[in-house]
Amino acid sequence: MRWFQFAVIILAVTVLQASLLDIIAVTDWNIKPDLLLILLVFFAIYCNTSEAIITSFTIGFAADIIGSTMGPQIISFGLFGTALAYLHRVIAIKKMAYQSAAIFITGLLAGVVVLLLTYLKGQPTGANVYAVLLGTSLYSSLIGPFLFLLIGWWMRIKTHRPGRR
Amino acid sequence: MARKQIRVSRGMLFIWFMLTGSIFLFAPQNLTNRFQFAFARIFRWPLSIGRSISLSARTPSARGRLIDPTSHREYENHITNLEKWLEQKHKKVEELSRLRDRYPLEDVKFILADVIPASDRSANKLIINGGKNYGLQQGQFVLGDNSIIGTISNVSFRSAQVKLVTDPTSKIAVRIAGLNVSRIMQGAGSNSAKIQMLSTKHEVKVGDDVYADKKIGFLDDLIIIGKIAQCKRGVEPLLWDITVKPVCDIEGLNIVAVIVMNP
Repeated sequence: MRWFQFAVIILAVTVLQASLLDIIAVTDWNIKPDLLLILLVFFAIYCNTSEAIITSFTIGFAADIIGSTMGPQIISFGLFGTALAYLHRVIAIKKMAYQSAAIFITGLLAGVVVLLLTYLKGQPTGANVYAVLLGTSLYSSLIGPFLFLLIGWWMRIKTHRPGRR
Repeated sequence: MARKQIRVSRGMLFIWFMLTGSIFLFAPQNLTNRFQFAFARIFRWPLSIGRSISLSARTPSARGRLIDPTSHREYENHITNLEKWLEQKHKKVEELSRLRDRYPLEDVKFILADVIPASDRSANKLIINGGKNYGLQQGQFVLGDNSIIGTISNVSFRSAQVKLVTDPTSKIAVRIAGLNVSRIMQGAGSNSAKIQMLSTKHEVKVGDDVYADKKIGFLDDLIIIGKIAQCKRGVEPLLWDITVKPVCDIEGLNIVAVIVMNP
């Protein structure tokens, strides 16, 4: 694992997510892809389990830094990133369609847990949260597998291995 | 000498991180906010550049217009405030013709602060680059485009968090133009707020101005906060269900003014 590249990509994506990504936001609810969620799924799939645990919690921390409150996303991303890493040991998530499904389901589950924890903390969750959550997960799952190629190149991780002959 | 490698099992690693997350979750908000403030301060420039680019990409071209929309809105709100103040002054002059009165907000100090685009504005909060170092305190009103946009909810030494009037936990006393009653306006998210408990015997209509009511120590005059966007009979037939939209384009705000009374 190249930790320096990891730190750089986390910082860059966090800044992008908090500022520039509004350009590609759609609908009145400002639905935009969650780049940190895409990173979470990428590292859960392409790293070993210990690295996946560390990266999941770190990405959760970055998501909280630009979120409304600290805590919910560290726990939620950490939990589901770790679960996905263990799941990947049983079911290979290599095809783009599977990756897309993994992003969508992880986004939904992590989002619901974030909402529950935010509610538990006594913080407001805003209007139409479930519609926004569904839209964000769907948007992320559509562009995520393509971004995997870019992230793989930056992290020097091979995302597509040649098949057996 | 060979370096000793520390090995930690995956289970322990997971438990440590979960504990860290739990500490963040249950720690007081004013402590955990420091991480967000620090990030916003450190990455202020890339965040501002990114926000400016995304705003300019989403805002339709203003070429060919005589006055840009932001300035126009500021002037319009300023004029509305002045009209309301003038109206009040006339009433006071009529009622208390021999007593002197001071000009609205004469003794008030305005602290200008930049909006740091760290967090998503759809979360109904803003972070500004002024804090206790500028004398900011919790509860102070914040102006954007000459209208009230929220109150200070958290203050650190160099930054502060503004809870917007559209935040579901925001409750502000307001008055509707033409009515002599004060009611609570609660944020409803999605850039709107609701006015509660107003009887249908009062006449209100879409487009009426809504003003933040006076609050001792924080605001000593009415200032525009929004306009009525929707007005219908609620679940309770004797009460209005009023939706208010802020008159300020909060998405496009780069600078705000905090009202500091008795500086």
